Amino acid sequence: MTLAQTDSSISEATDVPVRASRKPVVPWFLIAPALVIVLVFFGLPTLQMARMSFNLHVDQRLYVPGFTFEHYRTLFTNPLFSKAIWTTVQLALVASFFSVAIGYTFAILAWLKPARWRLLFVGLALCPLLISEIAIIFGWWMFFPKNGLLSQALLSAGLITDKFSLMYTEFAAFVGLVYVTLPYAFFILLSVLDGIDEQILESSADLGAPPLVTFREVLFPLTRTGLLVAFSQSFIWAMGTYATPSALGPDTLWTMGFLIQEQMLGKHNWPLASAFSMLLVIGVAAAMLLTRSLMSKRSAFHV
Amino acid sequence: MSEINLARQATLQQRLEPRVLRVLSWAFTGFLVLYILIPVLITLVMSFNNAAMIRFPITDWSVRWYADFFGSTQWMDALINSIVIALGTTAISTTAGILAAWAFERYQIPFRTFWYMLIMMPLFMPGVVLGLGVAIAFGGVQLGSYSFYGSRELVMIAHSLWAMPLVFMLMEATFRTVDYRVVEASYDLGGRPIGSFFEIVVPMVSTGIISSALFAFVISLNEFVMALFLTDRDTQTLPVLMWLSLRSAGTPRLAVASVILALTVFVCMSVIMLWYARQLRKVAR
Repeated sequence: MTLAQTDSSISEATDVPVRASRKPVVPWFLIAPALVIVLVFFGLPTLQMARMSFNLHVDQRLYVPGFTFEHYRTLFTNPLFSKAIWTTVQLALVASFFSVAIGYTFAILAWLKPARWRLLFVGLALCPLLISEIAIIFGWWMFFPKNGLLSQALLSAGLITDKFSLMYTEFAAFVGLVYVTLPYAFFILLSVLDGIDEQILESSADLGAPPLVTFREVLFPLTRTGLLVAFSQSFIWAMGTYATPSALGPDTLWTMGFLIQEQMLGKHNWPLASAFSMLLVIGVAAAMLLTRSLMSKRSAFHV
Repeated sequence: MSEINLARQATLQQRLEPRVLRVLSWAFTGFLVLYILIPVLITLVMSFNNAAMIRFPITDWSVRWYADFFGSTQWMDALINSIVIALGTTAISTTAGILAAWAFERYQIPFRTFWYMLIMMPLFMPGVVLGLGVAIAFGGVQLGSYSFYGSRELVMIAHSLWAMPLVFMLMEATFRTVDYRVVEASYDLGGRPIGSFFEIVVPMVSTGIISSALFAFVISLNEFVMALFLTDRDTQTLPVLMWLSLRSAGTPRLAVASVILALTVFVCMSVIMLWYARQLRKVAR
């Protein structure tokens, strides 16, 4: 699921022995179903969404064909919407930073530990990835409130005297968001670490460097690009995840995803919802392009 | 004098640091295990609560909410919708993904990087964007009396936008491990490409096929943002129903639904592990 894997696969696949190039139609038959799905159900809708974002919205109808930049202007001039954009970016940045920090430590531990431990760590990291987001939301939903597990556990341990609630706070939203993005950061960083020879650490230790110096001088420089890739991937996922922050966070925590849903299903303002989506698409595409340019710089360095 | 001090400091650092780091790494591991398992275990425990309210501590235990879940037509219908849609997604995305991956592995394709990026792109798009796009493009489309909007088929295809690129990526990596001399040999012995594919290649990549099919199934089973945009009351999936009822009021029934979703995923993962172990044993023999 990582760009890192995607990239290497392209470069390796090009020099595969090729057979049957005398029948150039065959590969297109084979790719056709995949292309139909992508073009008809992703390409076409995206174009229609782009068109829709310029349509008019009058008299509470879904949309009226026309051409206006009004919705894009609204996004940036209406304080409600521009604040939502800022909130989304801010929340995604902070959450990706923490998920990369936690994922990095986690990945280094999994990398250094013997194989048996590693399997357990990987299994643990798969949990947030394989359990439905809605189940995770519900899990935290029972943990944070006044009568939830956290408050009750601290109360019975005698650490607090009054029940308290962390539910519907930005902290809860943030905990949930990091939980969702953590596995992406972990698996990207683990695959980067797996490409490094572990003996390099021993050599560094033999030369007299204490662990932290080894980390700073050897391991960190080797994984710097990987960290950036992990960060941008986490950022992409954090930007797109809206259910978790909107269910766990305060009512005033409006993210772009939440507003898209609100405008689409609640307010029936399709043009505005589309304009918001286009902004999100552009943001994701920009983050992906940035990642790719980082990656190609890295592979150029290695070759 | 100061050099001696520095040296002493260095050795002290060398001796202390590993120990401090070891303690820290254990503490971190503990924190991580707690962090990841809290929402999972809390749900499992809550599903056996007898009370109608969600509050701790739990005093009364029963399987009452399981009975309630399996007795409710609304929840069972949602579960059936989820499973049907997930099966459909699996069929669509494995077929399309495996064929495309095979083409990329075995044939020369002009502009392959472009096509590769195009096929992978939907995987990186937020579900809310994909859901909105498909709803706008196909919301009003009707074929005779058959309306796309709200149909299970439309959700299957929407879910395939995530599942198919994943299958494609996994299978591309798997096909690269195949020893193609064997395939060439079968051609030399008179095997037709299609026959050879099913008799020689498929058994060699069975682990990859099983894993990617099950991942596709799991993705579709868990997804709820696209499904929220594309389903109506009759076709809503279990995660959509959970999301809607979480917004109104949470009961332990939601915990039961979570446990059932997670159990299904767990079974899928076990199948992958068992299959993988079986293949390893075969190779060893």
